[in-house]
Amino acid sequence: MRAASTVRVVLLAAAALPLASCIASNVVAEQDRMVVRPVASLEFRPVTALALDGLWESVELTGDVAVSLRRIWYVFSAGGSYTAAALAEVDGAPSFQTLSGTWAMSPEGLSLDGAAPVPVEEADGHVRISASTGRVVLRKGALQ
Amino acid sequence: MVQKLLQWAGALFVVGLLGASVFALTIVKDRIRVVVAADEAGAGPDPMALLRDDLQTVSRTVDELRMALGGNFERLGAALEERAEARHADVQGIARDVTSVRDGSAAVQHQLASILARIEALEVRVQARGTGVAAAPVAAAEPPAAPVEKPVEKPVDPPAQRPAEQTPEKPAEKPAAKTGFLSFSVPTVAFRFDERQDYVLAPDLCRVGFDAKSTLHDFTGATSKVTGRFAADMDDPAGAWTGEVVCDATTLVTGVEGRDTNMYEHLDTKAHPKITFTITRFVPAEGGVDVGKQTARGEILGTMSIRGVQRELKMPVAIEVDASKRLVVKGQTPLKLSDYQVPVPSQLGLINMQDEVVVWVALLARVQTGGKK
Repeated sequence: MRAASTVRVVLLAAAALPLASCIASNVVAEQDRMVVRPVASLEFRPVTALALDGLWESVELTGDVAVSLRRIWYVFSAGGSYTAAALAEVDGAPSFQTLSGTWAMSPEGLSLDGAAPVPVEEADGHVRISASTGRVVLRKGALQ
Repeated sequence: MVQKLLQWAGALFVVGLLGASVFALTIVKDRIRVVVAADEAGAGPDPMALLRDDLQTVSRTVDELRMALGGNFERLGAALEERAEARHADVQGIARDVTSVRDGSAAVQHQLASILARIEALEVRVQARGTGVAAAPVAAAEPPAAPVEKPVEKPVDPPAQRPAEQTPEKPAEKPAAKTGFLSFSVPTVAFRFDERQDYVLAPDLCRVGFDAKSTLHDFTGATSKVTGRFAADMDDPAGAWTGEVVCDATTLVTGVEGRDTNMYEHLDTKAHPKITFTITRFVPAEGGVDVGKQTARGEILGTMSIRGVQRELKMPVAIEVDASKRLVVKGQTPLKLSDYQVPVPSQLGLINMQDEVVVWVALLARVQTGGKK
């Protein structure tokens, strides 16, 4: 009786072994171990005219400012004014900074408060703004 | 008498002459044609021709004036256009200059902050060497902070004592430099690769896992629920790193639900939900640290704790800095499950998992500003 049971198990295992070749390996490749950044797949293209009005929130900050700057929010109005907030970390403590001003789009880019325009690129609900000290990718949001 | 005769003869002559004239007129009246002719051509210029001449002259003059005026307008337009272009170029030049000055100012501020940070670090090192206690410079520096505040709270203190007591406080009062970024004034914090800093693992952007081999097929178990922090100086030959990386073992997944359940049982996640790696040291590889490129290679030494069992572990790692000024740490090392008393999974004694797995980390850590030690 016990021998018969063992034989059944062995036969089942033997039958299952060929299935092994049907089960694909799911090992994560070494180059894919990092968490994928959501904006990595976006293909940005330069824009000279863009309806920026609405809420925008940062999803990626790069450059020197990224050391202390955590997030940015902008609300642009169609009338040419804006209000914004930045969350920065100073001495290990987060603090908000808010400001308001005017904005304008020109072929050279986005000008805030009459400053020199900076290049703006667009990709699928995102804009990328480049300045000398850093670059930010903003995602279109909604005021709910 | 003679006189009268002469009068009568004269009168008769006149009458006769008159009669002869009337007679002659009667005869030739039908043959007389009165022609009013202009003067001969050679006698003077033709006024119509003169008028035409004058008109043509005036027309030519008008044409010349028109052409001259048009040319002048063209020259005027070209000159105005040239001036406008020159002014536009001037404005662009000024804008470039302003941008350049602004960038220069930001760079100077950045360098200033960097220099200040280095001075602070040097001061800390000098203090540490002065006291002969290398491991506790921070703790030694903290006590003066408390008495420093007392003179401020007690204005009745003798003024003579204040300068001596306030001197150590001055470095702490330095205002943080600012960098302009899209109208914001951002604190300028230099990323120092060759200086001891505190790093915090970025939530949800880190991943740790293991690669395992089994009879049926190879698989990976991984999780992004990773937390931790560490203090490190990549350029420190002593490699006196400290910190820990903690992963939530209950969130490890392999892609097969039943296998995950078995894994949790084998790891005993109910009793030991965390897998911890405590960092004790970093050993740089020979020539493995490039401060300029901000890259490093070496081995991280520490204590791995799985299922409540602790073992020393070395993990070769490669370190770099990404565009967001975060430290990217990638590494892997083999590990035997049996060393941590983790039962090696086996199904029916035929489908077996190998005892040795490869544990790997893919971490993103950002500098905690103000966290220098």
